[in-house]
Amino acid sequence: MLYINIKVNGKEYELGVKPYETLLETLRDKLGLTGTKLGCGDGECGACTVNLNGKAVLSCLTLVAQTDEKEILTIEGLQNGAELHPIQESFVENSAIQCGYCTPGLVMSAKALLEENGDPTDENVREKIANNLCRCTGYEQPVRAILEAAKKIRGENDR
Amino acid sequence: MRNIFRPSEFRRPKDLHETSWILSSFEGRARVVAGGTELLVHKPLDVDCLVGLSKLDLDYIRNGRAGITIGAGTTLVKIEESEALSVEPYRILREATRLLATPTIRNTATIGGNICNASPAVDLPPALMVLDAKVIISGLEGTREIPIADFFEGVKKTVLSDDEFMVEVKIPAFPENTGASFQKLRHHQTSIDIAIVNAAARLSFAGDTVKEAKVAMGSVAATPIYSKKAEEILKGKILDVDIVKRAAEAASGEAKPIDDIRASAGYRKRMVTVLVERALEESARRCGK
Repeated sequence: MLYINIKVNGKEYELGVKPYETLLETLRDKLGLTGTKLGCGDGECGACTVNLNGKAVLSCLTLVAQTDEKEILTIEGLQNGAELHPIQESFVENSAIQCGYCTPGLVMSAKALLEENGDPTDENVREKIANNLCRCTGYEQPVRAILEAAKKIRGENDR
Repeated sequence: MRNIFRPSEFRRPKDLHETSWILSSFEGRARVVAGGTELLVHKPLDVDCLVGLSKLDLDYIRNGRAGITIGAGTTLVKIEESEALSVEPYRILREATRLLATPTIRNTATIGGNICNASPAVDLPPALMVLDAKVIISGLEGTREIPIADFFEGVKKTVLSDDEFMVEVKIPAFPENTGASFQKLRHHQTSIDIAIVNAAARLSFAGDTVKEAKVAMGSVAATPIYSKKAEEILKGKILDVDIVKRAAEAASGEAKPIDDIRASAGYRKRMVTVLVERALEESARRCGK
């Protein structure tokens, strides 16, 4: 057993992990954070996207042993109590959700993008969600939601 | 033999020697892991030990008088955003990186992983080949430096012995009047979307004459290859449409592609002509020719 220290959604954990254990398995099976989804397990669909030190990564293709001393943010860490994060709010307002399976991944890709670039273009957004497949709504609503979330967040910063 | 990916150990060595010592002690059953985006898709069954290189500080891009050095553990996102790599002719590395996999994969995948997996359809090696890149390999006996084209021995096969791993990629400085280009043909921009064919070129001019020419292509043989014939045709010439065409056709003649799910061999050969022609035209244009 290998011991690692990670911070997940602001909380520190010391965990014993297996050499082949993925970050996705740790999050879901050890920490009970089932918002992050297993889709294809091959890096195609992006349902497992989380933020690792602020960057969007595929948790199904990340060995948890490699995340030692790093910071992870999952969909559960976005909202503040009952209050949704502006990205989540925009997804709801724009009907960017249908079955919901791809939603946590899309939202986490959007979160990493907006941390880096507060005023993205339509093309920036489409590029950064290229690794998130949605088989229900398509991409119009999610793209619109992310662009609107950027506006919301910029508005908050102005205050 | 197990039928499932179950390495029993994960090691994080603190220096180069310890890394080689661990690798050699597993006699070929240890595997270096960087981003993991290739390893965890293939989940090889013959691996007993994973060796993470995060403590070796191989994540850097350094710009010096002799050229540029890139640590093997440098993530692709750093390469595509690197200021040092934004100038001619290095910028083809940024361009080739941006055409590779997806932004999410590029946040974790590394240049060393891209090279060491030795896929025939790999993108960065043809670009690195025309930039005369060398790779630095570390082993029990110390380090050795070899031209990147000599690193590959076949499909998924490299010159690395059991105790060796890649630490750095070195690209020399180039004279003024050097231009390069990378071209890739593929179906879609998703993470499975590897090249049907790719090609890279570099031209260095003395006045209007081609002083040096390099042409490399991928996905047309077991390893990425140079087109020596194209280089001979171009060298010492003043470029015109005819010479570019002849060089591109020579490259196509040297390509030995196969038929597979993505394209037929015949189509690949024809596309080599198109891509090499475009790469040469763009290289020339980038030096104002």
